[in-house]
Amino acid sequence: MSAAPLLSVTGLSKSFGGLRAVHDVNFQVFPGEIFAIIGPNGAGKTTTLNLVSGLLAPSAGSVALAGQDLTKLPSHKRCHLGLGRAFQVVQPFPEMTVLENVLVGAQFGSPNVSAAEANRRAEVALERSGLAALRDQPVEDLNLLQEKRLEIARALATKPQVLLLDEVMAGLRPAEARLAVELVRAVRAEGVTVVFIEHVMPVVRDLADRVLVMDHGSELALGTYAEVTANRMVIEAYLGKEEDEAEDGL
Amino acid sequence: MKRRINPLGRDLLLALLFFAVLLFLPPLLRAAFGRASVSYLSLGINALVLATLALSWDLLARTGQLSLAHAAFTGAGAYSTAILLRMADVPLWLGIPLGGVVAALLALALGSVTLRLYGIYFAIATLAFTEVLKTVVQELPTKIAGGAPGMNVTALFRPALAPGMERWELAFVRNQGYFWVYAALLLVAVVISVFIQRSRLRSAFTAIRTNELVAGVMGVNPARLKLLAFVLSSFVAGTLGAVEAHRLGSVSPDGAFAVSTTVLALVTPIFGGLYTTVGPILGALVLAGLEETLKRTFADGYLIGYGIVLVASILFMPRGLVGLLSGVARRLRRHGGNLEGGMSSARAIADEPFTAPEETP
Amino acid sequence: MDLSLLPQALVSGVLAAGLYALVSVGLALAIGVIGIVNFAHGEFFMVGAFLAYQLFVSFGFDPLLSLLFVAPALFVIGAIIYLSSIRFVLKAPELNQMLLTFGVGIILQNLALLIWGGDPRTIARVPYRAIGYKLGSISVGLVPLGSFVISLILVAALYWMLARTPLGRGMRAVAQNRTGAGLVGLEVNRIYLIAFAMSALLAGMGGVMIAVIQSPTPTIGFGFTLKAFAIVVLAGLGNIRGITIAAIVVALSESLVATMVPNGDSLRNAVFFAIIFVALVARSRRAF
Repeated sequence: MSAAPLLSVTGLSKSFGGLRAVHDVNFQVFPGEIFAIIGPNGAGKTTTLNLVSGLLAPSAGSVALAGQDLTKLPSHKRCHLGLGRAFQVVQPFPEMTVLENVLVGAQFGSPNVSAAEANRRAEVALERSGLAALRDQPVEDLNLLQEKRLEIARALATKPQVLLLDEVMAGLRPAEARLAVELVRAVRAEGVTVVFIEHVMPVVRDLADRVLVMDHGSELALGTYAEVTANRMVIEAYLGKEEDEAEDGL
Repeated sequence: MKRRINPLGRDLLLALLFFAVLLFLPPLLRAAFGRASVSYLSLGINALVLATLALSWDLLARTGQLSLAHAAFTGAGAYSTAILLRMADVPLWLGIPLGGVVAALLALALGSVTLRLYGIYFAIATLAFTEVLKTVVQELPTKIAGGAPGMNVTALFRPALAPGMERWELAFVRNQGYFWVYAALLLVAVVISVFIQRSRLRSAFTAIRTNELVAGVMGVNPARLKLLAFVLSSFVAGTLGAVEAHRLGSVSPDGAFAVSTTVLALVTPIFGGLYTTVGPILGALVLAGLEETLKRTFADGYLIGYGIVLVASILFMPRGLVGLLSGVARRLRRHGGNLEGGMSSARAIADEPFTAPEETP
Repeated sequence: MDLSLLPQALVSGVLAAGLYALVSVGLALAIGVIGIVNFAHGEFFMVGAFLAYQLFVSFGFDPLLSLLFVAPALFVIGAIIYLSSIRFVLKAPELNQMLLTFGVGIILQNLALLIWGGDPRTIARVPYRAIGYKLGSISVGLVPLGSFVISLILVAALYWMLARTPLGRGMRAVAQNRTGAGLVGLEVNRIYLIAFAMSALLAGMGGVMIAVIQSPTPTIGFGFTLKAFAIVVLAGLGNIRGITIAAIVVALSESLVATMVPNGDSLRNAVFFAIIFVALVARSRRAF
């Protein structure tokens, strides 16, 4: 990995009151990479993505995209610079159709997009994520798989350089998850770098070039799938999880 | 893709047609009803004022900002034109739009500090703002703003009694003038609304209203668009307040910043149908007629009608008249005229949101 | 600024705080237990005042006696409003709730206008209205003092009820756990009903007292809704315990501005609204 990193996270920390949700997290993601973040519940994974996409202001540390510091930028500016985000808890805009949802990303994802170009991007994103047939459905009518696809489609419509995916496989049946894996591969093939949070380990094994393991808000290990799964601390963290589940996140 | 008529162009054309009808309405009324047309025009003026007020409130509500500061904007417009006239002899044609500008600047200031207030907190803060502004205006030196009793304002239309003209004709000419001015102002509001509804602003506003955080992640700039809505909305409201000041002939803190203005501004679109251009106008037409009856029946407590309409709308008709009508139309189409199902329970409907609850990702 | 007025301002402020606490604690109860931000709250206060007035005019009831009649009346009115409207929007978005209570408030206020007209009404001929005590430069009327004491007793009774009785424990349980785990649905509904009716009762008691202290009009309620909001927001939404302190802060600042600032009396209301506005905006800045 000699290329310059696309996404750099340095010393990122976030406390809520006295609770350290994320503490001194560092990682770099390189162009074209698929990068996974794993860890037990309450490990700070989603908080990390929220810090990266600007939904939360960090207590310390910085986030940079292609060398540009994002730390002080609001989330819409980060989006314009090329950060796309799909949420774990699907959050489609109600009162809109599938196409209208995706159009929001297409129209506002980059500054100064013409209406025609926005329409084209939305159509491409719908096609890409297999939602073209449902374009005029109200989002209330979608099932979970379709909602997850909509999350991805909306993020893709913003033309991201880096796509942040938060547990897009959660709740999917194995066959559906395989489709989603294919989708992520296809997205990468188009040159989009992917950072994803995942609980389903086979998916991580199949997809990720490198894996960051988080626990109790801190980074526990960073390396290839084989490397981190051989790590003793990682094994303990995952086994320990079964025993003191009640203390998750504290 | 099929070639379709440009929806923006079609809506603007409809708006112009509507305006043209309004232009010819006064002479038609006069020809048809003679003396009685004066009071019909008064009723029409009330409807136009209510429609403009409601539509301007709706513009802001589309971004999820349910303001209780509308009286502040109309009041600011009214006082601005009055003070400009009194202190600097600014002519009315300039003072009235300046009233709108002052209201917009005020809204910009208010909007910037309330950007992170949502729902109920936003509502209470805007209400508090209105009351503070009212007190400030009341405490301005009497020489400038007239203090608690307020001050007189020149009328916009002062037609002279020409020879051979009857008294009612004089009143007609005056009412006709105001009717046209208000129609023009409503046209401005409608054009703004149509431009929003037919541009990408519509989806941005809806996105901000339903989930501001996600809207930001999709590249929408919520702060800027919320302020834009504030400015557009308050400009219309402020201009309206300015014209009202000249029509009523006086301004006072209690009148210009009356809570009832805010009540009317929000009840009308809720009743007619939120987040649409047609809804607030439709609501105003019905409510203005209702108000006339109510005022005649209960002098002091006529607002009770608005209270009942508000409660009933929320319990039984949360999407307003527009929602009701389009629902009926849809059912008619689907069931071939069979209105089965009808109104479901109040409970189920009342749970339907005006806006989605705030969610954090 | 005349510093010799300071002790009087402080005493008047503290005395007023009792009534404010009484009205606000009812609002906080509705918000804390039911989660309903009730814009009609001040109207209960107004209704209490006018019921006392009517009882005085029709039957010559002393306001102290009226308290005994107004309390159950407001409890019933509160219960009716809960059952006929609030109950249906419990799970609706908070804006629906807010607008609904706003509508209920408009109805109550205008109903009062229809019945009593817009003129101020007062219960003038009570024997103790003119009695006052002087302590150095400070004078204290018996009526403000009495209303302060009665308010304190009622607020204390509410705190006691919340802390010690099964009903109070139920209310606290519901307040802490809105999904009602471990509580039967029927029981939750009953607790909501009682909490809302009690909130109306407490406001109504305050209203009876204001009918002796001032000369209320039917439009007085909305102002008190806002005052109660100021106090509740300052205490932290849903925080019932903080109400007393917040009421003292708000009442003192009002009283200080009214006496110490030249022409301050007309600024009285602006103080409240400025406090609400600043408290809300400051809170929203910190949240991010």
